[in-house]
Amino acid sequence: MNRPTVVRLTGFSVLALALWFLPALQGPLGFPIFYLLFGYSLLFWFAQASSWNMFTGFSGYFSFGQGAFYGVGVYTTGVLASKQGWPLIAAIPVAGVLAAVLGLSLGFVVFRLRRLQGEIFALVTLAVAFVVAAIARVSSTIDGGSGIALNNVQLPEFLGAYPSMMFRLGLIIATVTIFAAATIQHSRLGWGLFSINDDEAVAESLGVPTFRHKMMAFGLSAFFAGLSGAVHAIQISYITIEDVFSIRIPLFVIVMSVLGGMRHWMGPIVGATIIHTLTDRLNRASDLELFGGNVTVSLDHLNDIIIGLLLILMVLAVKDGLWPRLVRRKWVGAGAFIVGILVARLWAPEMSLIGQFVAGELGAVVILLPSSEVIDRWRNWRSTTGSPDAPSDRPGVGASR
Amino acid sequence: MKLLQFDGIHKRFGGVAALGGVSGTLEEGEILGLVGPNGSGKSTLINILSGFAEPNEGQITFAGVDVTDTEAHHRFEAGIARTYQIPRPFSSMTARNNVAVSLIFGKTKLHPSDATDRALQWLDFAGLAGFADQSVSELNLHQLKYLELARALASEPRVLFLDEVLAGLNPTEIEESILMIRRIHDLGISLVIVEHVLRVVNALSTRIMALNQGLVIAEGAPEDVMKDPEVVRAYLGSRWKHA
Repeated sequence: MNRPTVVRLTGFSVLALALWFLPALQGPLGFPIFYLLFGYSLLFWFAQASSWNMFTGFSGYFSFGQGAFYGVGVYTTGVLASKQGWPLIAAIPVAGVLAAVLGLSLGFVVFRLRRLQGEIFALVTLAVAFVVAAIARVSSTIDGGSGIALNNVQLPEFLGAYPSMMFRLGLIIATVTIFAAATIQHSRLGWGLFSINDDEAVAESLGVPTFRHKMMAFGLSAFFAGLSGAVHAIQISYITIEDVFSIRIPLFVIVMSVLGGMRHWMGPIVGATIIHTLTDRLNRASDLELFGGNVTVSLDHLNDIIIGLLLILMVLAVKDGLWPRLVRRKWVGAGAFIVGILVARLWAPEMSLIGQFVAGELGAVVILLPSSEVIDRWRNWRSTTGSPDAPSDRPGVGASR
Repeated sequence: MKLLQFDGIHKRFGGVAALGGVSGTLEEGEILGLVGPNGSGKSTLINILSGFAEPNEGQITFAGVDVTDTEAHHRFEAGIARTYQIPRPFSSMTARNNVAVSLIFGKTKLHPSDATDRALQWLDFAGLAGFADQSVSELNLHQLKYLELARALASEPRVLFLDEVLAGLNPTEIEESILMIRRIHDLGISLVIVEHVLRVVNALSTRIMALNQGLVIAEGAPEDVMKDPEVVRAYLGSRWKHA
């Protein structure tokens, strides 16, 4: 292992270990137990978005297969832990392996055929999710159409009571997944994937084993998606085909990764944090009464609209995502975050911690959304109108670091 | 010593035969010029020899090893490198990282952190050291062609295919590039150059192979090939005679 890997491993271990004891502090600190489950959900989305991004974000192959890999994970727990009576802890690794086998078999076929690049690849992976769902629906050993209740699963009690246990399981899987994504990014595999993203044929002619690299990344991506799905089955507690194989998972991981930035492992983390906290607050928000109570707007229903608007905005305005902007202008982002929290406190003093966090992150997003290109243009415009002597065009501003 | 040998290379695109059984060799240390009118099959031959495209028939031997079915990335590791007629840099990367890819995956097999250091040496060779950490979108055509050279050379190849490195350059840049090609040859690398500017091919090549309509029509010393009646006809007269 080289030095950066050791540093990264140490950093991740320390952070994960610190969070491991968070459930034990629940009593002394007196925060609501709900925060542990909220933390679990956040960690779940970290794992899902990171696992998707380690293949698609790095290689540029747009996959809708996430739903299938997640679904294989969920149903492995359903079948093995509920129907066959396996302990959950034993079912989780099997779920990862089964999802990886599905990913590798799919990859073996589609990566061999050059015709299946681009949009066709995306469609094939989407189709696979439908096929997997159809098989699960028909087969009575898997689901058979009636769904599976998971109330009899043997849970790992040594991890604590239900909220603590979920939080810790989510923590382990998210940590391992994010660590894998960060390690891939800086390894030979990552370099290979980024060069495939730019020009696959040239990458191959410069020695990149393109087929092997795509297989490895797709297999790992599926593996972690499966692991995470296996734990999430417990959270869902009653699994049905319609719910598990809905478009929700593949859609959300895409929105999260695009928003955060797909070329860095931190991108999906940032995106997942924003999207999940935002949708959570919208789901729980009380109805908005307008015009003296004559018109009632349920914020819950605004959820999908907001996600849709974000997606449109991001496709139009945010090409490289928020993470690179946050790195470039961290103090601006931090300042806007604090201003957002202060505004929220003044406006609604009784707002919850998560609500304040959402207000802060919305402030940061608004400040960071305009790209550096727009800002430079504005600065140029101001400098040219402000003083006639100022240089009107500054070459190379956009790409300088 | 025979470095590269190819026998009976056929390539068909649909019903059109781009190459109809081309054979030849490249000796160690040679500069082989590939000439011929547009559509004669020069680029197709380079694509096949570098592993970019597969032949329908034929056999390729490199350094005594049959590489006909060897994937392109293994050929690069073995020492076969190429450049592209229209430069194809990795557009999201800096100049340095473009070269680093070759150092990571080529014969040198460096660790990424070492590769980004070593890349500077090859950028310097190509006169691009000052652009190392700039986005490739800021390089002009001449610089992009040099970046392709740096990328190909970084893995210390034994043979380098240069596909129209001079196309689109101005006279000053062409003179510079000719000097660069000589410097590359001085590193001990055998070269195959495809070029439209016949004056340049004549000046650089130790041997010339002329192609027309997917077949070798002449081969030998530059002055002999250029005088060959069939070569003259392919370049100047064939259309008039048939019309």
